[in-house]
Amino acid sequence: MSDKASAQVTSSKSNDWRQDLDLLKVISRFGVLITLLASILIFAVLNDRFIEIDGIRTSLNLASPLLMLALGLTVVLAMGDFDLSVTGIQSAAGAIVVILIVNHDWSWLLAIVVGMLFCLAAGSLNGLLVSYAGMPSFITTLATGLILIGTRYEAADGRNITGSQDLPDIYRDFGVGRPDPWLELHTPVWIAAGLAILMWLLMSKTEAGRYMYAIGGNPEAARLSGINVKALRALGFTAVGFMALFAAVTTTARTASSVADSGFSTLLGAYAAAFLGAAASKRTLFNVPGTVLGVIFLQAVDRGLILEGYSTGVRDIAKGCILLLAMAFTRIGASRR
Amino acid sequence: MTATAPAESAPLLEVSEVTKRYPGVLAVDGVTLSLEAGEVVGLVGKNGAGKSTLIKIIAGAERADEGHLSLSGEPLDLHRPHDATVAGLAFVHQDLQDVGDLSVAENVMMGLGYPRRLGLFVDWAELHRRAAQSIARLEADIDPRQPVGELSVAQQRLVMIARGLAQKARLLVLDEPSASLTDEEIDHLFAVVRRLRDGGITVVYVSHRLEEIFELTERVIVMRNGQLVADEPTSSLDRSSLISHITGHEHAQTAVERRASRGVGGRPGTGAALEVEGVSADTGVHNCSFDVRQGEILGLGGLMGSGRTELVRAVFGADYRREGTVRLHGVAISHKDPSQSMSAGLALLPEDRKTQGNIMDFSVRNNITLASLDRHRVRPRVPVPSARSEKRAADRRIDRLGIATPSDRQLVRLLSGGNQQKVVIAKWLEQGADVLIFDEPTIGVDVDGKEEIYDIMEELAGEGKAVVFISSEFSELVGVCHRVLVLSEGRIVGELEGDAVAEPAIVEICYSQL
Repeated sequence: MSDKASAQVTSSKSNDWRQDLDLLKVISRFGVLITLLASILIFAVLNDRFIEIDGIRTSLNLASPLLMLALGLTVVLAMGDFDLSVTGIQSAAGAIVVILIVNHDWSWLLAIVVGMLFCLAAGSLNGLLVSYAGMPSFITTLATGLILIGTRYEAADGRNITGSQDLPDIYRDFGVGRPDPWLELHTPVWIAAGLAILMWLLMSKTEAGRYMYAIGGNPEAARLSGINVKALRALGFTAVGFMALFAAVTTTARTASSVADSGFSTLLGAYAAAFLGAAASKRTLFNVPGTVLGVIFLQAVDRGLILEGYSTGVRDIAKGCILLLAMAFTRIGASRR
Repeated sequence: MTATAPAESAPLLEVSEVTKRYPGVLAVDGVTLSLEAGEVVGLVGKNGAGKSTLIKIIAGAERADEGHLSLSGEPLDLHRPHDATVAGLAFVHQDLQDVGDLSVAENVMMGLGYPRRLGLFVDWAELHRRAAQSIARLEADIDPRQPVGELSVAQQRLVMIARGLAQKARLLVLDEPSASLTDEEIDHLFAVVRRLRDGGITVVYVSHRLEEIFELTERVIVMRNGQLVADEPTSSLDRSSLISHITGHEHAQTAVERRASRGVGGRPGTGAALEVEGVSADTGVHNCSFDVRQGEILGLGGLMGSGRTELVRAVFGADYRREGTVRLHGVAISHKDPSQSMSAGLALLPEDRKTQGNIMDFSVRNNITLASLDRHRVRPRVPVPSARSEKRAADRRIDRLGIATPSDRQLVRLLSGGNQQKVVIAKWLEQGADVLIFDEPTIGVDVDGKEEIYDIMEELAGEGKAVVFISSEFSELVGVCHRVLVLSEGRIVGELEGDAVAEPAIVEICYSQL
């Protein structure tokens, strides 16, 4: 048996160089990265301002809430679940925090703590319904997301809740903040980076992360291996809630208001980023560095097209095409297997 | 490469110098063979010998890198599976590829276009009539309106064969068609195959069960390491010569000889490692009690659906256990979760290694350490796996169990069936279980691989672990078990020990209950 294995290994050596140089393979493995680099190059050639450092800093700042949301989604996606309520949680939590500070004169810290408790509760509710009650995640979180968005809408009669006068400066700093002295990046970028590192450590370095990927690979085999599948899946949804709070604080602090918005395009952007990240990875698994890359990519395309003067519609079309292309790249590899 | 001139009596299908490479493997290596109309040909070889790849090429699911096919003397160019269907080639795969929610008739007629009324609406009456025709040719008692998911495995295979007939197939390839079938069902399957042959249809019969090859086929084609190593009339071969073709070396032993030569006798030891008392479950397990001693290999025999898998799943806690107690070394374990049973030292190696045993997209290493990850930490209290510790453990198991893999980083998906099974075993050995339940560990595993799995079980028993071994191939139980329990309809209905363990005795208990 073992000598047969070694025979196979040696026979593979002679063919390897041909396999490795296979163009389709290269495209399927590195297609997303190549597209990213190529588009950055094109935008940079088209417009000098694309690589202006201040503009890049602003872009990163704008992309931060999207990254926070996408990080949460990466966790549930890795376990094979969807969470469509993430922007609903974000929107409701943002409203709670702003209302508590503006209308009820709460301290910003206490308001954030209450907002966090709300987010964790909402995420855990999703987790209970999906993991313990066995309801399908896609439609369940669509429903809870709708309820949250509707509640947010009714709570303020569909209006934005503005608090530019009443929100303390220290809260507003979460939205932009003073740039740090070294890289001159804004506060949200640092928070998002911190969260990304945290999630990266969790997913790729810890036992829990390994178990999560095991669940994503085969929940039944994971369960029979003694992994607490239900608890981990539920925890994934709680993590989405956790991330939603950061996004809620960042966006409300930046605009000094809670905006009455379905958050639909943000939701799609976060999913696009996570899927781009998976498409860029070797085994097409959802992963934190990939998600970070996906967010940066989408933001870069957005910025490049804005600088060229394109409208929202064109930018959406471009992003849609990129997503399709990325999925096509991964299929090229799969169909040849 | 000489072009084959269409002769007067060209064979039905000719495969010429076909070669297929996968990354790292030469799966099919210059295979040439021909199939005549109306013959039953056995295709045998170990897992990874290239049988499946060859079949995929004939089915149009894979393209050969070199070589060509011809049908009745005409060149045959297959770009996709549909081309093979049109050419009259039908395939019944080991893992059933029918659609469970659809009816028998819908499955049979799938791919043919359903009969219509007014060119738009499906003519159900006609659909059922045509499907019933194909099924009648198999003398099977199956209602065309029934959802396929409700049928037994044997009936589902017949539905797939009926689909081939409905497609006017001239060549039918049956890949491990007898897996999970009872003896009676296998007899029926054989009768069907013979009738098809008499009707001029060529049948390629792929099986690891050599008895079936001898009973059914007229010619045997043996593959080994991607090459065709033998193509001979079945009558010119005997069991040991066929096995030596398959394995490439002399070694053939019947179960009874094995039992005698290994000195498998009555129950060893004294203390019970696992005690099961009055276990019932809603999956159809009724008041089962048994125990297994340290160092003992206990066989669970019975027909398909007799409740063996259901029993061990209830014991392990994979399914809800309604009644009964399970004790390991005298200590009762709760039935909430598999993790409870695991920490008590019980392991279940499930029936289906692909859907229940392994994470197919994980590496060999990560599968082996999955159930014991908390013992491979960088520091005892930090829940971060140490790659070095994992690698050391995985390499040791790979070496001990002889898992054929290029490295511990190889994805389990890319291993052969027998090696995938060994990875499952390795996982539980690494976890440290001392009572191991093997549920059909040798299904789809080749001759050598089976022997290795028997050896592993014996080695474990020799180390004082208790082993429970479920198999539908009763000869396997005879070869290795100290004692055999026979189940029927979710109840333990018979027990054989020591010299009384013999295939006829097991079969008799099975059927005396029906």
